[in-house]
Amino acid sequence: MQISTDDRDDVLLRRAARGDEDAFTCLYKRHQAALYRYALRMTGSVWSAEEIVQEVFMTLIREPRKYNSERGAVGAFLFGITRNRVLKHLERRPREFSIEDVGLNTPYYREPVDPVTPAVWAEQRERVAQIRDAVLSLPEEFREAVVLCELEELSYEEAARLSSCPIGTIRSRLHRGRALLLAKLELLRQTPRRATANG
Amino acid sequence: MNCDEFEILGLDLNQSGADSEQRAAALDHLRHCSHCAGLVESWEEARAELFLLGDATREAQAPLRVEMRLRQEFRAQRRPLVFYRRAGLVAAWGLAVVILVAGAWNWENWHHQQPKARVINQVATNGAQQVTAPNEVLVADSDTGAFIPLPGTIPIESGDASVMQVRMQRGALAALGLPVDQEHASDWIRVDLLVAEDGVPQAVRLHQATTQEGPSQ
Repeated sequence: MQISTDDRDDVLLRRAARGDEDAFTCLYKRHQAALYRYALRMTGSVWSAEEIVQEVFMTLIREPRKYNSERGAVGAFLFGITRNRVLKHLERRPREFSIEDVGLNTPYYREPVDPVTPAVWAEQRERVAQIRDAVLSLPEEFREAVVLCELEELSYEEAARLSSCPIGTIRSRLHRGRALLLAKLELLRQTPRRATANG
Repeated sequence: MNCDEFEILGLDLNQSGADSEQRAAALDHLRHCSHCAGLVESWEEARAELFLLGDATREAQAPLRVEMRLRQEFRAQRRPLVFYRRAGLVAAWGLAVVILVAGAWNWENWHHQQPKARVINQVATNGAQQVTAPNEVLVADSDTGAFIPLPGTIPIESGDASVMQVRMQRGALAALGLPVDQEHASDWIRVDLLVAEDGVPQAVRLHQATTQEGPSQ
C-alpha cells in the first residue's frame, strides 16, 4: 500500500495498528528527530536519547490503542510519552553520566558553523560545552522550560501545552531557569574548562 | 516597572507575550536601570551561546539502528496478528463453501424426492389401485402416508377400489396379517383401508399420528 506524504498521523497510526509496516516507518521518520533532539537536550546523552526514542516507539507498537484522537495529535501524544520517559530517566539516573560522557565528539553534536581559525573553533567548542553543562545542571523543570523555549524555540503557549502546565508556570520556570543559567555560566567561566575535564 | 517585573518580561519581550504598554514600560526601565541593562547584556551573550548549542544539535537524529530494531520488533509483534487474520479469512471462506455445498446437496436431494412423493401421494389420495412396492412403502410410510399392501394380496392394476377410513384397536391389524406390538395392541388408531371391488382390504395406510407407534414392520 502506498504511503502519501499527506497522510495524517492518526491514519498512519491506524494502519500501523493493523500491521502496515510502511505506515509505521513513515510515522517514525516524521517524529523521531524532534523526539530524539528533545531527549538529547534534556539528558545530554546520545545513548539515553536513543534508548528513550526506541522505548517510545516500542510503546506505540505494543499499545497503539493507547492513543486517543480526542485528546490531541499523534505528535503531542508521542511527545508526552517521550517527556515521561525522559523524566523517569532523569529520576533514575540523575547524576549517572558525567560531563565527559556527554562528549562533543559524538556524531550528533555538529561542529560549530564556519570556524574561521582553529583558535576560534576551539573557543566556540568550549563555549558550547560550557552552556551545555550549564543547561544540564539545571533542575528538571527549569531545564525543560529552557530546552523548549530557547533551544527548540517554541512559543510559551506551545511549551505550556507540551509540558501540560499553565503558561504562567512556563514563564516563571523560564525566568528562574535563565537566572540559574546565567549564574552557572559565570561560575563555569571562572574555572578553566581544561581543569574541569582533568578533574 | 521595577527590576523584578523587568526580569520576568524584559529578557524576552518578543516571546513573553507582553503587550505594547508593558513593552514600552520595559524599554523605559532598561534606559534608566544599569543593573537590568547589564542583565540583558549577559543574557544576550548567554542566548548566543544557547543558539550555538541549539545549532550543534539541530540536525540530531536517532541512529538508523533504532529504526532497524523497531521495524524488527514491529514485524515480530504483528506477524501473529496477520497470521490470525489470514487464518480467520481462510476459515470464513471454508465455512462459506461448506454451507454452499451442503445447501446444494440438500436441494438436490429434495429435488429428486419430490416427484416420487408426489406420485405416491397421488395414488393414495385418488384411491388408485397402484400400490407401491414394499421397499418404497418404508420410505413413504412416514413421509407420504402411502398404503402398505397386506400380506397375501396381489397388487391391483386398476379398478374401482375405494378408501375406507376406520378407527380400530391396533391388535385388529393382526387379523389383516400385519405384525403388531402386543404392548400397544389395545391402542385405538385411525387407519385407511384400500378396499377392492369385492370388499376385500388390499392395503392399509396408517395416519401420521399413529404411524409413529404403528405395527412393527
